[in-house]
Amino acid sequence: MTEKNSKKAVDSNLIRRLYFFIKPYRFLVLLALALTISIAFLGPYRPLLIQRAIDDYVVVGDMEGLKSIILLITAVLLGESLFTVANLYLMNWIGQGTLFRIRTSVFNKIQSLHVQYFDKNPLGRLVTRTTNDIEAIDELVSTGIVNMMGDMLRIVFIMYFMFTMDWKLTLLSLSMIPILFWATSVFKDKMRVTYLEVRDQVARLNSFIQEHINGMHIVQLFNRQKVEFNRYQGINEDHKKAHIKTIYYFSIFWPLVEILSTIGMALVIWFGGASVLIEGLSFGVLVAFIQYVRQFFQPIRDISEKFNTLQSAMAATERIVSVLDTESKMSDGNTELPEHVKGEVEFQQVSFRYLADGQDILKDVSFRLNPGKMMAIVGATGAGKTTIINLMTRFYDNQSGTILLDGIPIKDLSINNLRSQIALVLQDNALFSGSILNNITLGREDISLEKVIEASKLVGAHEFISKLPNAYHHEIHERGASLSMGQRQLICFIRALVFDPKIIILDEATSNIDSETEALVTNALQVLMKDRTSIVIAHRLSTILHADTILVMHKGEVREQGNHKELITKDDGLYRKLYELQYKDELKSTG
Amino acid sequence: MMIRFAMDEVKHVVEGADKVNFSGYAQVLFQSSVGWDLAKYALLLVGAIILYGFLLFLTRQTIIVASRYIEFDIRNELYEHLQRLPMAYFATHKSGDIYVRVTEDINRVREYFGPAFMYMVNTFTRATIIIGMMFWVNAELTLWALIPLPLLSVMAYWLSGYINRMSNEIQQQYSNLAGRAQESFSSIRLIKAYVRELFEEKRFADEAEIYRKKKMILSAVEAMFFPMLNLLIGISVILVVWKGAENIQSGTATIGNIAEFIIYVAYLTWPVASLGYTLNMIQRSAASNKRIQEFLRETTDIADNEQTQALKSPIKGKIEFKNVSFTYPNTEVAALENLNFVIEPGEKIGIVGKTGSGKTSLVQLIPRLFEPTSGEILVDDIPYKRLPINELRKSIGFVPQENFLFSDTIKENIAFGVEQADFTEIELAAKKAQVLENILEFDKKFETILGERGITLSGGQKQRTSIARALIKKPCILVFDDSLSAVDTKTEDEILSYLKNELTEKTTLMISHRISTIQDCDRIFVMDNGSIVETGTHEELLTRKGVYFRIYSKQILEKELLTI
Repeated sequence: MTEKNSKKAVDSNLIRRLYFFIKPYRFLVLLALALTISIAFLGPYRPLLIQRAIDDYVVVGDMEGLKSIILLITAVLLGESLFTVANLYLMNWIGQGTLFRIRTSVFNKIQSLHVQYFDKNPLGRLVTRTTNDIEAIDELVSTGIVNMMGDMLRIVFIMYFMFTMDWKLTLLSLSMIPILFWATSVFKDKMRVTYLEVRDQVARLNSFIQEHINGMHIVQLFNRQKVEFNRYQGINEDHKKAHIKTIYYFSIFWPLVEILSTIGMALVIWFGGASVLIEGLSFGVLVAFIQYVRQFFQPIRDISEKFNTLQSAMAATERIVSVLDTESKMSDGNTELPEHVKGEVEFQQVSFRYLADGQDILKDVSFRLNPGKMMAIVGATGAGKTTIINLMTRFYDNQSGTILLDGIPIKDLSINNLRSQIALVLQDNALFSGSILNNITLGREDISLEKVIEASKLVGAHEFISKLPNAYHHEIHERGASLSMGQRQLICFIRALVFDPKIIILDEATSNIDSETEALVTNALQVLMKDRTSIVIAHRLSTILHADTILVMHKGEVREQGNHKELITKDDGLYRKLYELQYKDELKSTG
Repeated sequence: MMIRFAMDEVKHVVEGADKVNFSGYAQVLFQSSVGWDLAKYALLLVGAIILYGFLLFLTRQTIIVASRYIEFDIRNELYEHLQRLPMAYFATHKSGDIYVRVTEDINRVREYFGPAFMYMVNTFTRATIIIGMMFWVNAELTLWALIPLPLLSVMAYWLSGYINRMSNEIQQQYSNLAGRAQESFSSIRLIKAYVRELFEEKRFADEAEIYRKKKMILSAVEAMFFPMLNLLIGISVILVVWKGAENIQSGTATIGNIAEFIIYVAYLTWPVASLGYTLNMIQRSAASNKRIQEFLRETTDIADNEQTQALKSPIKGKIEFKNVSFTYPNTEVAALENLNFVIEPGEKIGIVGKTGSGKTSLVQLIPRLFEPTSGEILVDDIPYKRLPINELRKSIGFVPQENFLFSDTIKENIAFGVEQADFTEIELAAKKAQVLENILEFDKKFETILGERGITLSGGQKQRTSIARALIKKPCILVFDDSLSAVDTKTEDEILSYLKNELTEKTTLMISHRISTIQDCDRIFVMDNGSIVETGTHEELLTRKGVYFRIYSKQILEKELLTI
């Protein structure tokens, strides 16, 4: 009982939420409603006029009068057609506009959420919220509700016209309606079951195909062609049977509807014919009734069908609303940094864990980095190197300790203000689809092409970019797969450079790059880090050797801190081990 | 087929007949006939429609059902062909495209045999009979009534064609939109770091706007369809009433004729409108059919042919590469260059090398998943192209790098390569691959379903299940393509000691990144850039102080570091 109540409450809440998006179009909605009412009236009005044409003019032979009423009928017909076109267009205008608003809101909302949300939710699910789920409510907001209202009004008008013509004949011709309702409800359930069965079988068949395309090498390696073919045949057989069952119900249902409406018509003829003889019922009324009986059956069938789509639309709305209601966990500060940021970074006993009762990812990490200096972070996978970056950029918030920029706790700063002082270069060097220029400026219009070229020359990337078709306007596809790893990295460096931040945060690419690119990148890094505070998760020896200070991380803790010379002399030191493991080899091969 | 045609004929004669009754009724009515006549005609009408309904039922039960049978056959044929295609085909075609061929395209072709065929027959017989009737009753009125109908057909054809094209465009824009969202969400850190949320919002909104506009164009066109249909039919009715009235004046028609014609026109609406729609459906079917035919023509060149010789004795497991080079289809760089080596039966070979050095390419050639671009591979001194492919593959237990398991029970997955496996064998294979304990921990044990509808195994569990699947075949050649990478060292040692003790007879090729996995092998191949640069035992290679030595020293240090 309570469950039912709460469900209902949610529904009205959902409608309210949807209304928020439709609101800008509320006057157009009223217009659409007015049109719908007119159409619902004009459609059934035509048979009435034809009845008059027949009874009042054709039978009497009044050709002049006939001409004028035919003009009227034509006008009604044209009006109805025009209104319908206009109405459908209007409804779609409202609908698509609303969907656009919902879609962009969902996207903006998701994008604004904290980074942890993205770690928790699979990418596919997030994309679905902005695509599939929006499509699911398409019909609801564009044509669904208004059409349902139209259908109902139409039934009302038809009944009204019929009753005004002849109530006895009306009741008689409507006598088939309860049977139609009964047949629809019986078959609807049956067809629903078979429909679901068909859907399952189609899914089964398709996923079998999908899986066997991906796993065909296994099928062939293990000589399983015969067995798999037999299995496929079995699934294919079930698929066929499910369809044939549906065909069976459809091939009974549709003729049945036809038969019922014809019986209705036969009753009209039979009884109506007698009425003509006995009560002098006009012939035109009979013709009108024949048309009404046909017109009447259509909306009744439609309504039950539309009800189903409405239900699935509500489910999608619920998912969308739950995204819109997600709270962002980051609190924004309101302190603004002074115009001239020095770039002093300090961690004071910073600890962090993902879950409140989870393991510490960082434990009491403290360090101080003076303006313009470079710090390299080294350590094995899982030592907490990336977490330091994530905290510095406020992708996550640490549970205890303080992080300071120029002596101001970063939690007090506005997030955008903080981030505008930081340039981040990530390991995967991902590029977006779009031109190289756009990849560098990220759409910031205050960065001129000249500035980009200048930066590009500084890092030594101008040469290869100029050689690309369309140079800086070269379109990137598939995340930059056509460029080499080194080239992608250089583009990311240019990006960081033109944004001209005070702090550079860099996660070096782990993969081996050839020595030529290595030289380029090393050179570019020096340009990038000049006069900037930089924090680098280092994978390359040259980077570490250049660092002013090295932070050696192990299992979330800072184990050693100092420059290369100091650390390498510690005999049993962690750094020394790491150095031998990762970098000595490099030293040999390059030097 | 003729029966069906005959049936439709009958159906429409009957259908036409009820109109005759109807007009007769109208005339009778006008001549003030008696009440039981009315009942008679009404009943005739009902009788006719019941017969019509019954025939309609039969039509659907035959034509549409038959189309499902045809679809069934095409599906089987295509799948069978799919299984015969060489790996080169899968490497050069997007799996999405192949998928569409074997699913969507078949649906389209079925439409041709089912609905399209039914509508065509229906349209022509219905239209012929109804128009015939109309002419018979009143030729002049017929011409007037028919004027708007060709327009209707043309319009339906044009609109449905346009709608199809537009729908494709919208589908494309829909994936652009999804791609946009995907790209933004996957680079969220970068976007946030550079404070570019607003820019991304705008980019997404731009795509969404294009999508909205395209949808609007489509719905504008779609919005035209029913009103236009209504309009043209309405015009037809008006023409009938108007011209009918003139004819009544001149005495060539009755009021009954008008009623009759209104109904005729209503009955003509769908056949005429569906004509255009059907023509489009046929066009699409033809395009799909063409693609399916092309797919079926794809060569299945890795197969037995007249040069294939029957096996004289079971394969022992000697493998020889003679000047083997290999380039993946549609690429230019050679993955393997001029390989020459002999592996004796029972020999254990370890293969190490960087990513992309050609390790996987080498082992993929052995079961003929791919064939060398040049050179020759011999198994037991016979060029392997002459061996029956089933026998060759039966003798190889292959554990691929990507451990592909099917969404089926664990039992079925392990027993995948054997026709009949009793449970003890499956259990034994699982035990040898060190995965038995894990399996027994699941509620349903060996009946546990994997994949989307079941549970997801960890990387290591997958690898070991996949090893069990290879072991149960009792092959004489075993290939492990980096198959222990996700297995912890203790389990690895157990698997390795099993291999050492029990697989003494079997030729083994083992790719690994970890030296510890392969250091006990009889010989180790060190690969770089598609060639074997060093060969020898672990000790020999260490003393050489080359590539192998460097990899080894690094890994030793790594191990040490873990113990800190």
